[in-house]
Parts: sequence; C-alpha cells; structure tokens
Amino acid sequence: MNSGILRYSTYSIIIGLIIAILSIGCSQRGKSLGNVYRYPMVTRVKGFDPALGDDIYSHISIKQVYETLLQYHHLKRPYELVPLLAESMPTISEDGLTYTFTLKKGVYFQDDPCFKGEKREFVAEDLIYSIKRVADIKTKSTGWWIFDGRIRGLDEFRKESQESETTDYTRTVEGLQAPDKYTFVLTLTQPCSQMLYFFTMSYTSVVPKEAVDHYGEEFLNHPVGTGPYKLSEWRKGLRLVFTKNPEYRKEHYPSEGSEEDKEAGLLDDAGKELPFIDTLIFNVYVESQPQWLNFMQGNIEVTGIPKDNYNQAINPDKSLKNELADKEINLNINPSLDVTYTFFNMEDKTLGSNVHLRRAFCYAWDIDKNIKLMFNDRAIPAHSPVPPGLVGYDPDFVNPYQKFDPALAKKELEKAGFPGGKRLPTFEYLSNDNTTARQWSEKFVKEMGDVGIKITVTSVTWPEFLNRIKNKKFQIAGMAWSADYPDPENFMQLLYGPNEAPGTNNANYKNATYDKLYEELLKTTDDEQKSLIIKKMKDIFAEDCPWIPGVHRLAFGLSYSWVKNRKYNDISPGNFKYLRIDIDKRNELLKGK
Amino acid sequence: MRKSKSLTQKALTELGRDKLAMISFAIIAAYILIALLIQTNLLNLPIHDTVGESYEKPSWAHILGTDIFGRDVFIRVIYGVKISMSIGFITTLIAVPIGIVLGALAGFFGGRIDDFIVWIYSTFSSIPYLLLLLALALVLGKGIFSVYIALGVTSWVGICRVVRGEFIKYRERDYVTAAHALGAGPLRIIFRHILPNVLPLIFINASLLFVSAIKAEVILSYIGVGVQGKPSWGNMISDAKLELVGRGVYWQFLGATCAMFIIVLAFNIFSDALRDSFDPRISNKTKER
Repeated sequence: MNSGILRYSTYSIIIGLIIAILSIGCSQRGKSLGNVYRYPMVTRVKGFDPALGDDIYSHISIKQVYETLLQYHHLKRPYELVPLLAESMPTISEDGLTYTFTLKKGVYFQDDPCFKGEKREFVAEDLIYSIKRVADIKTKSTGWWIFDGRIRGLDEFRKESQESETTDYTRTVEGLQAPDKYTFVLTLTQPCSQMLYFFTMSYTSVVPKEAVDHYGEEFLNHPVGTGPYKLSEWRKGLRLVFTKNPEYRKEHYPSEGSEEDKEAGLLDDAGKELPFIDTLIFNVYVESQPQWLNFMQGNIEVTGIPKDNYNQAINPDKSLKNELADKEINLNINPSLDVTYTFFNMEDKTLGSNVHLRRAFCYAWDIDKNIKLMFNDRAIPAHSPVPPGLVGYDPDFVNPYQKFDPALAKKELEKAGFPGGKRLPTFEYLSNDNTTARQWSEKFVKEMGDVGIKITVTSVTWPEFLNRIKNKKFQIAGMAWSADYPDPENFMQLLYGPNEAPGTNNANYKNATYDKLYEELLKTTDDEQKSLIIKKMKDIFAEDCPWIPGVHRLAFGLSYSWVKNRKYNDISPGNFKYLRIDIDKRNELLKGK
Repeated sequence: MRKSKSLTQKALTELGRDKLAMISFAIIAAYILIALLIQTNLLNLPIHDTVGESYEKPSWAHILGTDIFGRDVFIRVIYGVKISMSIGFITTLIAVPIGIVLGALAGFFGGRIDDFIVWIYSTFSSIPYLLLLLALALVLGKGIFSVYIALGVTSWVGICRVVRGEFIKYRERDYVTAAHALGAGPLRIIFRHILPNVLPLIFINASLLFVSAIKAEVILSYIGVGVQGKPSWGNMISDAKLELVGRGVYWQFLGATCAMFIIVLAFNIFSDALRDSFDPRISNKTKER
C-alpha cells in the first residue's frame, strides 16, 4: 500500500517536470512584442500624488502622467530648461521678483470619471491650485521646502491651513495670480536663482482639483494628468502599466543637439510627434538578480549593473565584455550628480547631543571597503554633500571625519563619555528589506561593533522606510540624494534646519550659522561667491557630523541597441516619451535566443 | 523475579536495534550539543571576524571559503546550527503545550468546548501559515524573538488535532470509565490516565514539528523577515541568490543547504523509527505486518 504513494508521487514529479519544461519552452518564443517598453523598477512605488513625489521612483512614475511648466532639454548638456506646459520661457522682472508665464492653449487632462464626461482644459488656476495644495499643511507634502518663505502670501496660506479645519482654496495668495486663463504670474518675496528649476519637479506638477476632491485619500492611486501616458494597471509591488494618452497634445522630438548627439543617432527622430511608444511596463524587481537575469533574457530593455554581476559584464578596463556586446547591448557610463550618506536623527537624545559619539561612528565606518564591495570601485568617497560637476565641489576639500580609523573612533568614543562603549545604549539602524541592504547593514553592525558601538538592525520596505524617516521614527539610516536640478543649493538644503522632516533634511540637523549661510546662498547668483559660502557650510557640516558621509557614484547602465533616443538624464530621469523601440530588430534578436 | 518490560521499554529496545535511527539520533545529538556549546559560550565562534579576502574559494584553511566580507563560511554554517536548533526547540516548547492542552480539553469534554476549540484551530489552519508568519513578524518587529512567537503560535494545530483524536478514542475506554467511577476528577484523568498513553504520538509529532520549524526559519530569513544580524542558513541562502549566478560563489549555498539537509533528514528518519517502534500498526516496515 504505502509504496503506492511513492510510485504515484514519482509519476506526478515526472509529469510535473515535463509540463514545466514544455512551458519554459513555450514562454517568450514565437511571441512577438509590440510597441512596448519594459522598464525595471528597483522598488515598489509609493504612489502617484505629486505633492508626495520626493523619491526618484515616484518621480519617474509620476512624470509619465503629470506634467510641469518646464522641463530639461532632452539632449543639451549642460542641462538647459525648456518649456513644457508653458508656451515659452517666462519673463522675469528686473528686480527678479515677478515671473510671468504664458501657458500652452488646448492642453487637456486625460479623460476620467471625475470630470463627469466633459473635456477638461488645463488653465492657470490649476497651477495655482496645485501649488496651494503643496502649501496646505493637511496634504503633508514633502515638497514644502521649495516654496517655504519664497512666495508672497503663501506662508500665510499655509498657516491658515494649519488653523482651520478645512483649507479654503479660494483664499487669494498675493504671489500666485492668474490674470487670464493662460497667464500665470508668480511673485516672490526675494530673488531666488533656483525658482525656475522648481517648475520641473514633481511637486509643481499640475493636478486637477476635481480629481483630488473625487478620489480623496485614493487620489494617491488615481493619477489624472495631462502627460503622455495614463496609468492603466497597477499591481502593487509587481507591475505598473501605462498606455499612451489619446488626448495628448502635439509635442515634438527636439531638433537641436550637439554633433555627438547627431552621430549617436539621437537626432534621427527630430521633429516627430511624441510619444513613440504605446505601452510602458514597469516591472518591480526588489532583488537585483531577477532583474539581471531578465535583462540578459531580453525581458527588459535596460538595467543597471548589480554589484554581484559586475565582473561578468565589465572588463577591468571598464569596457563591456564581448559576450554582452555580441548580444547588442550598449554600455553607458555617466557620473551621477548624487551623494550617498548615513544620517543620524539629530533629535535623538544621545546621538543629537554628542558630537564625539557621531565622530566615532564616522571613523568606524570603512568607506574604502564599502566602495570596493558594494560599488565595485564605481564611486569616490564623498567629503561633503556636493558632488563633482557642480559649483562648490572641490576635489581638494578633505573632511577630517571621512576616514576609516578604528583607533580614533575609540578615542572619540572615550571623549563622548563612553569609553569602550560602556553605558552606551544600543542603537537602531533602519534598513531596507533586500539582500544587498542586509549585507550593507551587517557591515555596519560589524564595524560599529569593532569599536564598541552596539547596533540592532530593523529592515522595512521602501515606502515604510521613507515613512519612518518622515515621521522622525528612527535613529540611524542610510540614503542617497540625486540632484533635482543642477545647482549645489539642492545638496546644501539637505541640512537646512527648516527643511527638517517631513522635508528633505532627513537628519533633522539644525545649526543657526549653517542656516544663515544657506539663506545667503539662496540670494547669491555669482558662482565664485557661491563657492565661498559653500566652503564655509562644508566646514560646519564636517565638524558637526550629522552624517557619515558616503560616496558619489558613477552610473553604469546597460541597454539593448533596439532602444533608440536614450540620453542619460541624472536630474530628471524617466523621459520615456522620447524613446523609440526598433520593434523589428527586437523581435528578430529575441527570436534568435 | 524478572519484571516484564513495559511497552515503552520494548519500544526503546526496538528503536535501539534500528541502526539508521541510531545514526540519525547521533546526528541530532551532535547538533544539539553544538547548539548548547554555542549557547553557553563554551564554543565561542568568531562569526563577525574577517579572516581573509572576500569570496575566497574553499581551501584547507577555510573549508567552505569566505563570504562577501571575508568571513569564514564554515563558522557561520556552524553558528546557523544554534539558530536553527533554538528555533526548533523553542517553537516546539511553545506549540506542544498549547496543542496538548487544547487537544485534550476538546477531546475529553467534547460538546461546546470541542466545537469552540475546533473552530479556533480550523480558523488558524485556514490562514496560509507563511502569510500569518509575515503578518506576525511585521507586528512584533523583525528578529529571532518574533520568529519564535510566530512559529510557536501557528504550529500547534497539528498536535492539537492528533491529541484531540486520541482523547476521543480513549475517553470511552474501560480504564477511564473505571477512574470516573472511583471519583477521579477530569484533570486527573486527563493528565494522569490518558495523557501518558498519548505521549509517544506527541513525541513523534513534536519531532516533525521541530523539522518544520527549522524549515520555516530558513524561509523567513530568506525572504528577509527572519533572523537579523546573525548568520542563519536562510540568510546565507539569501546571500547566495546574489552570488551564485553573478559570481559563481556556490559555497555559502552548499554549506547552508547541506547542514539543513542533514538535520532534516536525520529528524525524519528518527521520527519514522520512533513511530514504527511505538505504534507497530502504522509501520512502514513489512516485517511487522
């Protein structure tokens, strides 16, 4: 009797195997792909509310559906601003306080039940509403820092939104005016050299009031924008699908670019109507290996190079291995305008009040080993927040605490009042829930442990991670910041006191002198002057150690040659409306597999 | 006068003759010993120490090579024994008493109490255990403590069922009726009279539970909600998912899976043998037919 069970299970295993083999053989083969772009997302996306679009993954998703007044030119470098929803670049008054934008006519929001079947044109009032929404304290926007104290009357609006139960959006704000449907006048409290850049960021995306009112809390999951794509499917943690927005107005591929761009074929589609691709599929790969294997199978168009696959893909001279080049894969290497950092919650009683303790952390962290093991030497140590490529970066600037020296770490710990780590409480290190993040945190625990600092690790999903930081519920965590716009101010603001959580000052660092210098920096337009101020700020930053400084990265990207018109954009990635797929070539190459 | 052997003694003698079972028992004992030595700090393993370059191949110095941070993989595999055994042990310690008490009450009293307890365990067993574990791990926070609790409170259902069934069978027996007639209270009957007869079955089920707890820990650690900051087999296999394809580093994977394979196999063989000797009627062995 009992042997029967064994025989039965043997049969079922054999049958199962046959089915499995057959189904592997069937997948992909023979199926030809249409006009689809398949993009890997390395984390699940928080949602589509532009007022909360503070992380790069949200930004990439949001910009498919929503649009801003301005954008960066697809090809021109250094980065140049060009109009998107604006008809032309704004006129700025001589005192630098008044910006007058003329808006494009005939721009419609995508069809949505919230408009009750009517076509809905984008007008200046929508823009004013969207900015007020970021200012409304009840929105809990992470983007208030870009407007804070800068627009006339907006701070009062924010204050009132805090005091009243429902925010009165009809209340006029002096600095936000719409003299007619297609004109938007912005008045500042003081000149701000970054203001135009803000109008490329997710926070200033135009959202219709009807959608916010209609969907309420669910607005996060129901994007309604003017952009080239509509969200058509969202399986949380798995997949996002966007389809071409049939209402999209006539936008055209840029016709200007450098000689290099021309040679690279980036001007072949000049003047053609956008977007080229019908469907965008974002597949979520929290772990790096599935992403890599799927790329190698041709199941996604582009990928970064995970640390564990680096030696498989890249030769020691940083060129692409032949096996990959033969598969028609291209390698792009670009310096990123970014900084990685591990930060302390300065509002934590022990960490915030003891600079020697923080210095001990800095000395205990082996940055070179980190660069070797975690980045395959694709990074340089960061001595300040400002990355190379921006004003204020100084290759000779040395942060005395950006150094691995366990002996010094122990000394600092003694100075902090905890010789050998005695009486020191155990600290919590907040981490993400993928394997690489776990390895990273193991290294952290070990290196801190070596000097006598005890650490426990809590690992959570990316949305939860951001949530805890925005609510100051953490002690130590690690993060990276990519430039929102090509101005060093964007990095210095990461430590500006009033930008504390839920703003971008994740460390909740406050230093009056630093803040004053930052305010001075905002008003400065002269590059040399800026450099001088930034130098002073860096010195304060280095001495106070609110961060364990990390690295500035070099971005290595791979893409198949059937993806056309791809130009690296570090500041505002995700410009899929310009991309074109050589569908025949892709089908041919995939068939050959 | 020679005393005749009790059933248990007979079963144990029978078990002692089974060579495979004895080898399995020796392996289990060795694992337990290692776990105890590490737990009591008699064996102090340098699990966090860097002993070489990262990803060194297996050699005589490091028989399972090194991992990303140059730590000895063999040492980490051995440390994983302690994690796994402690999880198996504590889970069993939590689940078995719950299972026994609820199963005994349900089986013995029947009626409303039975209905209620059956309802509870049906509800528990209808929830996929991995989901329940994930939810619990998220509520309690991650770490080894949550794994103990999560596994402990989810894995009592099997034992509870078995015990309930046995109690239903035994409560009608003559000796129970006799005990009733002599005026023994229900608790005395449950724990002094019936339970000893059910114990062998509980042992068998507990040893199977031990195995499934070890496996569950590996799965939980693999998906990132298990043991944090310490080497466990699940964490090592999770590392391997990055290294195996990308770098061809097979030794973490090999070490962790072999260690797990051996203990799981040993437990399975041993609990089989245990069942055979205590309950010849359901034996796998033809000779006893």
